[in-house]
Amino acid sequence: MGCSSSVPSKSSGLPGGLNSDNGGMVDAKNLRVKLVLLGDSGVGKSCIVLRFVRGQFDPTSKVTVGASFLSQTVALQDSTTVKFEIWDTAGQERYAALAPLYYRGAAVAVVVYDITSPESFTKAQYWVKELQKHGSPDIVMALVGNKADLQEKREVTVQDGIDYAEKNGMFFIETSAKTADNVNQLFEEIAKRLPRPSPS
Amino acid sequence: MDASSSSSQSLTFYDFLDRMRNPASLDLVRSIKSFIVSFSFSTANPENDGKRLQDFLLTMEASIRDHPLWDGASEEEIDSAIEGLEKYVMTKLFARTFASSHEDAKIDQEISEKIHLLQHFLKPEHLDIPEVFHNEASWLLAEKELQKINAFKAPREKLLCILSCCRVINNLLLNASMSENRVPGADDFLPVLIFVTIKANPPQLHSNLKFIQLFRRQEKLVSEAAYYFTNLVSAKTFICDLDAKSLSIDETEFEENMKRAKLAITGARMGPPRALHETAALVNPLARMCDKATQNELSPILDEIVGLASQSDPGPSQGMEGSETNISGGLPYPFMEAEAGELTIEDVEKLLGIYKDVVKKSSNGRMKNDYKFMTLGGCCYPFTETEAGELSQLTIEDVV
Repeated sequence: MGCSSSVPSKSSGLPGGLNSDNGGMVDAKNLRVKLVLLGDSGVGKSCIVLRFVRGQFDPTSKVTVGASFLSQTVALQDSTTVKFEIWDTAGQERYAALAPLYYRGAAVAVVVYDITSPESFTKAQYWVKELQKHGSPDIVMALVGNKADLQEKREVTVQDGIDYAEKNGMFFIETSAKTADNVNQLFEEIAKRLPRPSPS
Repeated sequence: MDASSSSSQSLTFYDFLDRMRNPASLDLVRSIKSFIVSFSFSTANPENDGKRLQDFLLTMEASIRDHPLWDGASEEEIDSAIEGLEKYVMTKLFARTFASSHEDAKIDQEISEKIHLLQHFLKPEHLDIPEVFHNEASWLLAEKELQKINAFKAPREKLLCILSCCRVINNLLLNASMSENRVPGADDFLPVLIFVTIKANPPQLHSNLKFIQLFRRQEKLVSEAAYYFTNLVSAKTFICDLDAKSLSIDETEFEENMKRAKLAITGARMGPPRALHETAALVNPLARMCDKATQNELSPILDEIVGLASQSDPGPSQGMEGSETNISGGLPYPFMEAEAGELTIEDVEKLLGIYKDVVKKSSNGRMKNDYKFMTLGGCCYPFTETEAGELSQLTIEDVV
């Protein structure tokens, strides 16, 4: 039908700089970061995010709670803040071809799998390869093994996760959205790894 | 989503026009006028046009920041001035920039026809939408929001239609999940949006998305707005590429359903007149002609009526109704939701009456001055002196 490319790429011919797609930073002390969530349907992507957003206790922070878009600001020790704009993606196979529309211009990609599902781990590896081919070259990638509370059902070992992440220069962590284990650590760690604009 | 500002935004458009009327803003008015004129005279080239508009808005933003009229203005005031400017300029340049190429019109037509076929048989189960999210009332509400998209010319307002649609879906997902103790995410959102889009078959979907992408201020098409916009682009792409493999349906069953839908449509086209109205938009030759007309030359008339009668934003439906009673003092504008293709010759008389009424009101009230500014680009009210009796001489293009 020839209409898949009908909307021109966002970066083409538009003025750069101002709130550009690339992470959209506001200034050196307050970053605004586009984070895209990828992973099979059912691995708990949205649960992790909801945990993260609800788990912050700063009453002054404005929280946007949608069903699939959420934003949350974290304050770091060095008195900088990072506002994460979290773009969830549909994980079902039939929507896989649409993912580039979402990860275009993302500064961070969090690839999630379920430690009880080897299929979801294979799918995660597919996403990592996709991002390496088509994502921004300086994208920060995290590999997340979720449902760490289900130890007795584990089918993907911690070591498998570590090895794969290391080979691909990613940050790795296992989380449990259910118990909130490591959820904040995940986002804090990402915030630390973001490239900073050099103070001028 | 940016909805709380709806009512205040309609006020700020007046505020923008007010400031433009101030003699002190003559230099700005000149820049705007000269931009519109030079833009109108160059040949259409969507990508290039988008860049030109974005550059112009940035330049004007800088001028406005330095302008004595905005001395000491807050960021918010500067922002609403640029919003007003975007709305003004894009309303003026609408005919030149919206669905301006034959190719775009063709894609719109193809998508619309494909959706029309899918509407004949597609069920929520085909997209594996869980039972708990089946909610006809919410879906209908979301469809209505999406279908309003052509009632507006400003990119911001078109975008708001999309955001309103998504907000309705979000509310449905959040409410339905509450009882199920589950967390809805994109896994749930996108399928529902796709289904709603197919049910709604929004007019000129491709052209509307392209228009927003190119002409909505780039610094506003970010964050949440960008996310939901991307979802509709995504839904459109999915629908374009959709085949049996995209759905939970047997391949032969899919092919048969598509064949049957085609037959039903062509059957209706050949069939007795009473079948016509069901598929009017697709089969009625007049409707087709009008559709084309809308794509190519958008009327100054409806333009002004829409412009004057609905300064308020899309979005929550009450907002729309509010603005109607506001201006008309209770008189309804029955064509606000109408598509050019749906109009009949009989409607012309009514339309002309309302049109004159709007012009008269606008000439009496405070809008007189707005009207002056609105005509700055050379546009005027060509039919105020026309009698309904002369209608036979009007071509359908005049109505459109």
